[in-house]
Amino acid sequence: MPQAPLASKDGSLFRQVLKCYETKQYKKGLKAAEQILRKNPKHGETLAMKGLITNSLGRTEEAFAIAKEALRQDMKSHVCWHVYGLLYRSEKNFEESIKAYKMALRFEPESQQILRDLALLQVQMRDYPGYIESRGKILQGRPQLRQNWTGLAVAYHLAGSYAEAENVLKKYEETLKNPPSRGDIEHSEACLYRNVVIAESGDIARALEHLESIAKVSLDKISVMEYRADYLLRLDRREEAEKAYRALLNRNSEKREYYKGLEQSMGIDPEDRKAMRAIYDEFTEKNPRSDAPRRIPLDFLEGGDFKQAADVYLQKLLKKGVPSTFANIKALYADTAKREVILELVKGYLASMGTEEETSTNGETNGDKLKPSEFKLWTLYFLTQHYDHHRTRDTTKASEYLNQALELSSGTLELHMTQARIHKHSGDFQKAMEKMDRARKLDTKDRYINTKCAKYQLRNDRNEDALKTMSLFTRNDAHGGPLGDLLEMQCVWFITEDGESYLRQGNLGLALKRFHAILKIFDDWTEDQFDFHSFSLRKGQIRSYVTMLRWEDTLRSHPFFVRAALGAIRVYIMLHDRPHLAHGSLSNGSREGTNFEGMSPTDRKKALKKAKREQQKAQEKAAELAAKAKEDKAKNSQISNADGEMKKEDTDPLGNALAQTKEPLEVAMKFLIPLLELSPKKTEVQCAGFEVYFRRKKWLLALKCLIAARKTEEENPVVHEQSIRFRRAVDSLVDEDIKEPSREVLTAELESILPKETDLKSYNEEFLNSHRDSPKHVHGALRARHLLSPEDASIADELANTLSLENLTLKEAVEGQALLADLKVENKDYNQKASEKFPDAAAFRTAV
Amino acid sequence: MDIRVLQPSDIPHVQLANITNLPENYFCKYYLYHALSWPQLSYVAVDLSHSSGSPGEPPKIVGYVLAKMEEEPADGVQHGHITSLSVMRTHRRLGLAEKLMRQSQKAMVEAFGAKYVSLHVRVSNKAALHLYRDTLQFKVNKVEGRYYADGENAYSMRKDLTFLEEAESESENEGEEKVEDVGIDGDVPEGGEKKKKKSRAKKYKLGRALGVADLQEVDGRAS
Repeated sequence: MPQAPLASKDGSLFRQVLKCYETKQYKKGLKAAEQILRKNPKHGETLAMKGLITNSLGRTEEAFAIAKEALRQDMKSHVCWHVYGLLYRSEKNFEESIKAYKMALRFEPESQQILRDLALLQVQMRDYPGYIESRGKILQGRPQLRQNWTGLAVAYHLAGSYAEAENVLKKYEETLKNPPSRGDIEHSEACLYRNVVIAESGDIARALEHLESIAKVSLDKISVMEYRADYLLRLDRREEAEKAYRALLNRNSEKREYYKGLEQSMGIDPEDRKAMRAIYDEFTEKNPRSDAPRRIPLDFLEGGDFKQAADVYLQKLLKKGVPSTFANIKALYADTAKREVILELVKGYLASMGTEEETSTNGETNGDKLKPSEFKLWTLYFLTQHYDHHRTRDTTKASEYLNQALELSSGTLELHMTQARIHKHSGDFQKAMEKMDRARKLDTKDRYINTKCAKYQLRNDRNEDALKTMSLFTRNDAHGGPLGDLLEMQCVWFITEDGESYLRQGNLGLALKRFHAILKIFDDWTEDQFDFHSFSLRKGQIRSYVTMLRWEDTLRSHPFFVRAALGAIRVYIMLHDRPHLAHGSLSNGSREGTNFEGMSPTDRKKALKKAKREQQKAQEKAAELAAKAKEDKAKNSQISNADGEMKKEDTDPLGNALAQTKEPLEVAMKFLIPLLELSPKKTEVQCAGFEVYFRRKKWLLALKCLIAARKTEEENPVVHEQSIRFRRAVDSLVDEDIKEPSREVLTAELESILPKETDLKSYNEEFLNSHRDSPKHVHGALRARHLLSPEDASIADELANTLSLENLTLKEAVEGQALLADLKVENKDYNQKASEKFPDAAAFRTAV
Repeated sequence: MDIRVLQPSDIPHVQLANITNLPENYFCKYYLYHALSWPQLSYVAVDLSHSSGSPGEPPKIVGYVLAKMEEEPADGVQHGHITSLSVMRTHRRLGLAEKLMRQSQKAMVEAFGAKYVSLHVRVSNKAALHLYRDTLQFKVNKVEGRYYADGENAYSMRKDLTFLEEAESESENEGEEKVEDVGIDGDVPEGGEKKKKKSRAKKYKLGRALGVADLQEVDGRAS
């Protein structure tokens, strides 16, 4: 039985409650609700509203209790169910929320508002059949609104039902008695959207026909031109396609895709370099200021033609004094011949300049505008960058050219920045940081150089300094100070680098804290689309909305996510293997770290106690600081509460609680699942998956990762070691460890990778011998050997041999050092030898 | 460097370029708001020469212009507005800012009938001022006192766009003047402390006028 309606006075009071909620006057609304309840304590809908408002005031638990009571009083009220759904929605429990909305609809099937709320969740959850149903009902309720037609079409489109989607759009168009006025954006976009739907259904001929019929009313000229060119080319109507691509290039001559389209429509064989070049020459002439038609031919030209074109290009840029000349051409460096030609050319410029006085004869092209030394300055700068580039690195030469450049112009910021880079590349992070800070001081108003400086400070593990540098440009009155602002502004790079730095230092709590912050940012980005489900239908920009939804579907394949997630998984694996690392000061990462594992049990206990005490102190200090900051802010009362939102205090600013989790591997799954789902082709993702599943004794899942990794990169050294480790583990499994039929699958599948009768030792040595020249592979094989023969004493020597390899990078040398530490093998000789090869590298210097 | 329209998938790297270069920053949703309201107006400069061409590989964005239409123009005249424009220091003097701006302006006129485009620039940002005034022919309209969070004044600048209405093609031959791409500038996220409630939170209305049965959550997400 529905409840009796409220008396008229209370009824108007109830309307006031609703109004207060909508206008966010929560306290007032709550008062009014309580006034009604005094007379009608069992009035369900008033209780429901009270619950809703209570939730908005941040008291979620209490809100749920009230909302449940409301339902008990009035099970058949759509308001009570709707509120219940809204509470779950605010908790992001979308499944429960959908259920509650559906209940609400049973009692009020026509409610547009509930239908809309349900529809929003369905599209957010990608429940397309449900979305189609809800959108259909919404349209039935209000067919006079165009957005409701478009909404249903989008639902069909997303579900892959192109014909239905188009049909809905068409039907609406047919109801239009008068053609919409020119400048009607919604109409223009709806037509273009219909065109995209037709094209995606695969019927290009009809898409083209339709496009021509709407071209006149379309306000997005570029889209029309791009679609037309694309359709014509796909229909092999070459002549018209050529015309269409030329029209596009006349609008924007800086887009590679257009040139590619033009080449194809002209039927030019990519091997016919002359014909290719003719196109670009034509557009160079037409657009003297364009970069693309000059730069692109450098990609495909070869030999003398390349040299001639590169010469013209480089001289033009260098004489103009473009500091980014090297950045513009360095992609060509993958080609050995090309980079040699470039070096020869640029060295030639320098040689022909001779001394500074003579250079004026070289600067004729730009007449008076060119300061004689500019050409020389940027030429020297180019050579510096050439020798600092990873493929052509020669730090000594780079420094020589840099010093010459500095003599010409000691105040040029770019030079100091590059000096810092050179130090970074040689592994001297301290010096790199100092130089970058000097560069920063040359232009304290430029955030770019400020950013670089902070990054270099992080690379040198100076986290506090880095934050201080960042704070020169952050909003420091934000909640949580500069770091709070960086989090709020989703400054992914800083948070990630900060986390990685803490990981290096063995502060796993803060490392996790930062990686979780990245996880949260991506959650927010997922959540961000929510409002656009309704917003975009109103705005009418449907094509970009659909593009956005598709991007959101694969959001976590973004390298920003992958990097932070892999970092977090590494930490969780460390915490699983050695739980004492949760206490920062016991970690080996910190430079003066204690050797916890080498201690006697009583000493361990003592050390653990001490570490816990220290941690407690640090936490208290952090809390104190936070409290003080809050107090300061309160004094500044005009700032506080300006955004009217309640920000929760962070109860774990140092990440101690995160690090002390009892289930590190289970928490790691939060990071691992999206990786495996969206980036399955990345070997390192599969390797991370293997490590987690292996430790969780999920043998089949670990095997799945192994198989996937071997598929993308069979000879990967990490995968190699994992395969051996897996074989050994599986061989020693007993019946309780794994049941049939899983066991049978496991045995059979593993057999195809690494058969049971393989002699693992010789298998490993074979691998080592066939990859002797690759430091990474040697590392993998030695790790496996240590597993197979823990007593083998030759590992250190063999590892040291990698230091003589020509192609060894600094990074690999450091990885070798880490390997020795992992295997608890003496590293003095290794460090000695490494420091000879990398004399500036801090990693080997401090460890000696 | 390619010049092309901004896509939603570009946003993380546009956001990175913005917070690397400029003091005025925005969260992802604010970029989405631009990209989904006026998708024709924002452009990016992308280094494609490194691209492996594999799908899903994020673009290497070296510059961007984030632009919009003024939703409720005070003067009643349709016009565009540059929210933020920047080019990485490593890619300056290639003329990218100018190229980005030209594409954006043309689209403002074609798609939305803009009569002019406006922007704000810090009075101390000489390089950006030079770009806007000398290279792009903007004119200072007025000075807005204490526009920026740190108390600095802004020049409010404008450029008439009516010349684009007729001219099908603009002259590309503007001489070989050296373009200073430097500096550039971004809007204050919420239009300064004074207008705090505006854009950083949300400039657009998330909930419509809500009726009796309309219990839609009004807050949107906490920003």
